Amino acid sequence: MKLTRRNFLAWAGLSAIGAVACDVIQDDELSVQSPRSLPEDLVKGRDNWYATLGRNATDGEGVIVRVMEGRAKKIQGNPKYPVNMGKQSPRSEAGLQALYHPDRIEGPMLRTGPRGSGQYRSIQWEPEALDILKRELAARGNGMVLITEPLRGHLGMIAERFATSVGGRHLCFDSMDDTTYRAAVNGVFGESCLPDFDLANANYVISFGADFLSTWGSSTRLATAYGEFRQGSERQAGGSRGYLVHVDPRFSMTAANADEWLPITPGMEGYLALSLAYVIISEGYQAEGVDVNALTGGQGAAALAAFAPENIASQLGIPEQLHEEKTAAEKIRDLANNFAHHGPSIALGGGSAGAHTNGQFNLMAIYALNYLVGSVGSNGGLRFNPGAPLDSLPATASVGSMADWSKVASEIRGGNTRLVMVHEANPVHGLPASLGFENTLNRDDLFIVSFSSFMDETTVMADLILPDRVFLEDWGDDIPDPGPGYPAMGIQQPVVNPLSDLDPRSFGDLLLSVAQEMGQEEALPWASVEAALKQTTETLFAYGRGTSRDAGSAGELWNLMLQQGGWWDESATGPTPSAPAGLLNTIAAQGGQPSFAGSGDFYLQPFLHNSLLDGRNAHIPWMQGLPDPVTTVAWQTWVELNSHTAEAMGLREGDIVSVTTGSGSIRGVLYPNPALPPRVVAVPLGQGRRSGSDYATGGDARESSNALDLLSAAHLTENGGLAWAGHMAQVAPTGESLKIAKFEGIFPARQIGHTPGEAVILVTDH
Amino acid sequence: MVTSRIDHKWGMVVDLDRCNGCQACVVACQVENNLPINDKNAFLQNRAYEWIRIERYWEGDYPNIKARFIPILCQHCENAPCEPVCPVFATYRNDEGLNVQLYNRCVGTRYCINNCPYQVRFFNYWHPNWPERLQNQLNPDVTVRTRGITEKCTFCIQRLRRGQLQVERRNGGELGDSTLRAGNHMPACVQACPTNALTFGDQNDAQSPIKPYFDDVNRYNIHHESERQTRGYRMLEDMNTKPNVIYLKKVDPNKGSSGGHHG
Repeated sequence: MKLTRRNFLAWAGLSAIGAVACDVIQDDELSVQSPRSLPEDLVKGRDNWYATLGRNATDGEGVIVRVMEGRAKKIQGNPKYPVNMGKQSPRSEAGLQALYHPDRIEGPMLRTGPRGSGQYRSIQWEPEALDILKRELAARGNGMVLITEPLRGHLGMIAERFATSVGGRHLCFDSMDDTTYRAAVNGVFGESCLPDFDLANANYVISFGADFLSTWGSSTRLATAYGEFRQGSERQAGGSRGYLVHVDPRFSMTAANADEWLPITPGMEGYLALSLAYVIISEGYQAEGVDVNALTGGQGAAALAAFAPENIASQLGIPEQLHEEKTAAEKIRDLANNFAHHGPSIALGGGSAGAHTNGQFNLMAIYALNYLVGSVGSNGGLRFNPGAPLDSLPATASVGSMADWSKVASEIRGGNTRLVMVHEANPVHGLPASLGFENTLNRDDLFIVSFSSFMDETTVMADLILPDRVFLEDWGDDIPDPGPGYPAMGIQQPVVNPLSDLDPRSFGDLLLSVAQEMGQEEALPWASVEAALKQTTETLFAYGRGTSRDAGSAGELWNLMLQQGGWWDESATGPTPSAPAGLLNTIAAQGGQPSFAGSGDFYLQPFLHNSLLDGRNAHIPWMQGLPDPVTTVAWQTWVELNSHTAEAMGLREGDIVSVTTGSGSIRGVLYPNPALPPRVVAVPLGQGRRSGSDYATGGDARESSNALDLLSAAHLTENGGLAWAGHMAQVAPTGESLKIAKFEGIFPARQIGHTPGEAVILVTDH
Repeated sequence: MVTSRIDHKWGMVVDLDRCNGCQACVVACQVENNLPINDKNAFLQNRAYEWIRIERYWEGDYPNIKARFIPILCQHCENAPCEPVCPVFATYRNDEGLNVQLYNRCVGTRYCINNCPYQVRFFNYWHPNWPERLQNQLNPDVTVRTRGITEKCTFCIQRLRRGQLQVERRNGGELGDSTLRAGNHMPACVQACPTNALTFGDQNDAQSPIKPYFDDVNRYNIHHESERQTRGYRMLEDMNTKPNVIYLKKVDPNKGSSGGHHG
């Protein structure tokens, strides 16, 4: 038949009718798309959501990932995961851009140029890369150090056993380590796992230095609880709204959200805490059943008399203009009264409060307050975590303190450590420049292996680069620390395969296979991380509690764990510690004032960047382009000074200033902050990266600096942590200025009628 | 073929007393809606844009100072000032309470941007660029807007449409509070918000958690604001734009006497 226009139309019509008649088209696709369904075209395709763990954030989050046509599209909080319960931090989504980052290391590489030059040639995994790794491990394993991000659970166990089996050791790296906080928790509560804070049911919270709404602790979990603390449904009905007091020398995000912000002289937090304890005991404010005599070694308030508000108020630096009608001592007495009488109350501390030469004293004094108001192990107080579901799994990461890193550096310099292996850790950037870790690594007798997916300051020093899969491509697990108050283990499963132009290998699997080839099957018998997880599932199934109760077999439990993101047992609870005898008088006897490194007119307060943290997210464009919540600056290192102080110094926004301590000097863009105390200079970490992706290293030294360069590696807390909040600094203009990259002002406020402040604030009686 | 549809009227409630300004909503929105990367130049040229943004206001002076955070997104006004000024009808009000933008009709006059009192409409001065590998992440449900087009918050209409398809058309159910949550059909910002400051729902759904606030604010207009039973208010309410976003006032037991200023 000749194909004419008429015939064509006839056949086309018949085909359409035939298709309908034969019912080969689904219902959805027959319905006419109404224009009112526009403007977004809906792509017809099936998406899948997989539960896994978000490892880009420090928050220990469980996530679900949307995968469509083999590509990850969106990361969201896992509603079933007990830590973050469906919510997520601003850092969560960074994993997607890490997965599809243009600057991922594509495959194994061997150094060809001088160390640090970044000159490498690509090699094959087998046999070359693995042979080199095995050869170096055999030759230099004794005394080696394996540096990883904080690892717990199976990955922590594998790293630990691997390092031990080759004669070395495993140390986790975190530039603002929590060793002092852990030591304080251990000293006050006798617990090795960190506590969970039941903010949701608390009425009064005093937070000392812990920026828990931004980067401190399990911040997503705490933010969710904070929402309930403010306007939980029961509170709305009853009208009792949680009251937050934040004690901090810096106007942090948590300070911005507090009902009262108490600027304090840095390092004096412990004095304030003991002063509150003194008032509570001397006025008899303590909760019913609290044995004050046991807490004070039988001395009662006399044990703390030196810390009476009248004796120490003048040293705390509380500004006179703050609620002018009262003296500083009266303000402390009021605070103690409210803390004791508006319970359930929580005293929590960390961050800058613990980063002083007296940091452990500060934190112990703060946490001891919880005993006085009966908040230890109670509803609306502190809940303690029972640790790992299996004894063989580490529930806490062995994070190195500054003293540990000094020791590692001296062992490398002394020739005892001749092999360094690094995974997801960047100590060259993240340790104070004054330690000279970069120079330490720059030795010919050292062999450095990096398992990083991205080039960074430490990886660029490596001899051999064996890129790991990123977390969305790999198996793993985590035991959240702090946990939710009951035993939990999160499962990380690969949600996508690596792109075809990339050739990464799983770090955990690699350690296992190399260990086995080196004859260490006994310590590390598993074929893969996945196999180790499956074996643990069988043990968990045999427990018959928690998630295991919902499964009929170990196989079913495995599937269930993959579906919901892990295993947990809500019915089990953690321990309830009791106070060590004489806790308060012991702490009071340790009481010392902080000492400060260097000299200058300003207290230096470095802090973790809200999205970049210490710089580990600096290569993620979403994280760089996210304005800081308080200053709204993005892409740059800014230096915060009080607006009036800056004006008196003749400085304006955008001026490049130098910040100098006894250990170093950096430059940054001035941001006059009306809320910063006049004697404080605050600088965020996160920028100042020198190697790696253009997103991380694009800024020049005037606007991209590493605040860690200012710190003294010898300025330590009582237990060897870095006293990063205890430095004095000088601030000086450089004569240069540039436009600050900030979000505020892009949309001028067009207020009609009310100012926003007047319009949106509701005054209530507390 | 005409199928019967359930009438929805979407709305959002923003509780300023819960919001802590963390910016999780901002990133979640950028990821879901294929927003171009705000590079440094975007900030320097005052062209950085976020469909939902956190504004920070200073109030008072040191040490009696407060920072207030307010999330601002398209208010999806009933009387939207952006709509009548569009010469090509690229922006209009649909019957689900959404103010929508037809990208392929927009000719880029930017009249709507000028006329929006909330400053939540954005113009693409450049074609958005992503490195090739990063394009794998782009959401296939959302158009990438080209140069010369105005764009703005859609209440994640692609999630609502997917929800309607899956819940209402395939399963015969109704897209309400529980089904929105269970199927990941909430707008990305609402889903992400760690403090639950953002709540989304259907104003026609008696069970929706947003309904009491809308009822209250609708019953007592701005002239009877003092009679409201909730903390609800509409932003720039005296302009009578009738937004489908309601804010709940921040509570401050120690409110200072000073007014706010935008820093």
